[in-house]
Amino acid sequence: MKDSSQNNYGATFKRSPIFYILTRLVILFFIIIIIFPLLYTLSLSVRSPDTVYSARYFLIPYEFSLQNYYDAFFYAEEKLKVSFPRMFLNSVIVTTTSVSLIIMLSIFAAFSFSHLRFPMKESLYNVMIASVAMPAQVLLIPMFYLLIYFGIINTYLAVILAYAGFLIPIGILILRMFFEQVPNELTEAGIVDGSSDFQLLTRILLPLAKPAIATCVILLFLDTWNEFIYAMIFMQDPTIHTVPVGLAKIGTSRYHINIGTYSASVMVSIIPVLIIFTIFQRWFIAGMTMGALKH
Amino acid sequence: MIYKTFHVKTLFYLLPALFIFLVFNVLPGLTSLVLSFFDFTGFETNLFRKFVGFDNFIKIYEDKYFWIALKNTFLFVFGAVFIQTGIALILSIFIFFGNFKFSVLIRSIIFFPCVLAPVSVGLVWKKILEQDGVLNAILGLDFSWLSSLSLVMWLIIMVNTWQWIGYNLVIYYAGLQSLNIELLEASDIDGANWNQKIFSIVIPLLWPTTILNMILNLIGGFRAFDIVYVLTRGGPAHYSEVLASYLYYYSFAAGGPNKMGVGASVAFVIFACILTIALARIFISKRIEKN
Repeated sequence: MKDSSQNNYGATFKRSPIFYILTRLVILFFIIIIIFPLLYTLSLSVRSPDTVYSARYFLIPYEFSLQNYYDAFFYAEEKLKVSFPRMFLNSVIVTTTSVSLIIMLSIFAAFSFSHLRFPMKESLYNVMIASVAMPAQVLLIPMFYLLIYFGIINTYLAVILAYAGFLIPIGILILRMFFEQVPNELTEAGIVDGSSDFQLLTRILLPLAKPAIATCVILLFLDTWNEFIYAMIFMQDPTIHTVPVGLAKIGTSRYHINIGTYSASVMVSIIPVLIIFTIFQRWFIAGMTMGALKH
Repeated sequence: MIYKTFHVKTLFYLLPALFIFLVFNVLPGLTSLVLSFFDFTGFETNLFRKFVGFDNFIKIYEDKYFWIALKNTFLFVFGAVFIQTGIALILSIFIFFGNFKFSVLIRSIIFFPCVLAPVSVGLVWKKILEQDGVLNAILGLDFSWLSSLSLVMWLIIMVNTWQWIGYNLVIYYAGLQSLNIELLEASDIDGANWNQKIFSIVIPLLWPTTILNMILNLIGGFRAFDIVYVLTRGGPAHYSEVLASYLYYYSFAAGGPNKMGVGASVAFVIFACILTIALARIFISKRIEKN
């Protein structure tokens, strides 16, 4: 979709110079507000340890150095007993497993909601939609004991299953809407050609559903990668900490931590997301907008 | 529909997802409601040993900090629903009608914080707001922002708005793109000025999008935990506690009271808030339909 950066809608407002100047000033102000904290943290993280408390115009370091990143790496290893690469590995394991599990189960369930019949279908669907509004913290305490009961507390599986229970409704919601938009002629043609229900799903619906699945993947990726409270409470063993949990421990620890080391740790969590976002920004924005509109 | 009636095969598609949903969502949800009537700590194995009736609720009712947490949660939700949505509305109108050359880039920049972990965002702002932080350096002040009892909650709301404003912005932008532009052109011919166009045409037409944004922010507002935990841990002296962090403090926090039953009753309160709002929404939309 070509974005309308050169739309004509502005024409109706162009003749008003006050509006023109006002918009520039306000947007500039907000851009600065958004960018400054991130640039400032980046700036802190690349200052040499001696000059960390001063910089030109608050942002430009007197002396560049990557010392803080080394320090952050060793700080994590020494104080947290988990290194940054390990945290990223943990996050990747949890995120990929739970997202693929949720997507797979949601595809099948959404198909049964959209193209098959079973008793209590709509009431079950409504319960699922209602559960989307529930904050995760409501389930925290019983979930904790449930995971102890299953003997999977302090393993990846604890968080993966908790995420799955929590996020499957969102997957079903988006995919069902999409499956129902597929024209009946296509599915009926498939049935006439003698395809089974499974073939109908895999041969006809899924190839068409790629955008919906991409939306799901983006939403679920963000939800699971950034999730904090479940990951903190259900995986207390330091070696399986995810990035947000390890980072929160570094950032709120009672031990003294050098401001440069602190900022470098924060930047280590931000930079990969920034790179992924820069590459896929269209998909991120479109995905999150679409996800919201489907609610 | 493939089959005219229910077919056993359907179960193979539905059951795996349904099983996980029931076991890891509905079951804990219902148990949470029951557990709020029991007294237990994190070390017990039999949770349902000691039935205490409404004791947990009386305990939080008498706790001054519960009321602070409740008040803060509503303040936070208010900030997310009205302030954040309001600013996003203004920004989206400015960007959309301002004829910016780099409109896509501007939106991407404002949207970017949404994809960051709230933990990272909280840590970024924590350093800025500290007493020797850059905000004081810029303003030439020596003020401990996050220790101020009256300001701390507003600062948390501000940081949250900073992170999520782009989300509301792109939703509004999608709403603006699907706007019927002919109405604006017609108003041009009628000689309407720009603030008439915005207040009498654009904002009323965007009403459904506004409702959507408000609901999303409302749901998100009750969820807030990460940002409070990272910025203040509920401090100073529990004055920035929200319901979720209060629940965490009572049940899991190291050095906290470790009273899980009380935590469960806080969860009950959150549940009740959401339910009340959902019912109110259904009620109001039915009233509107009738009129």
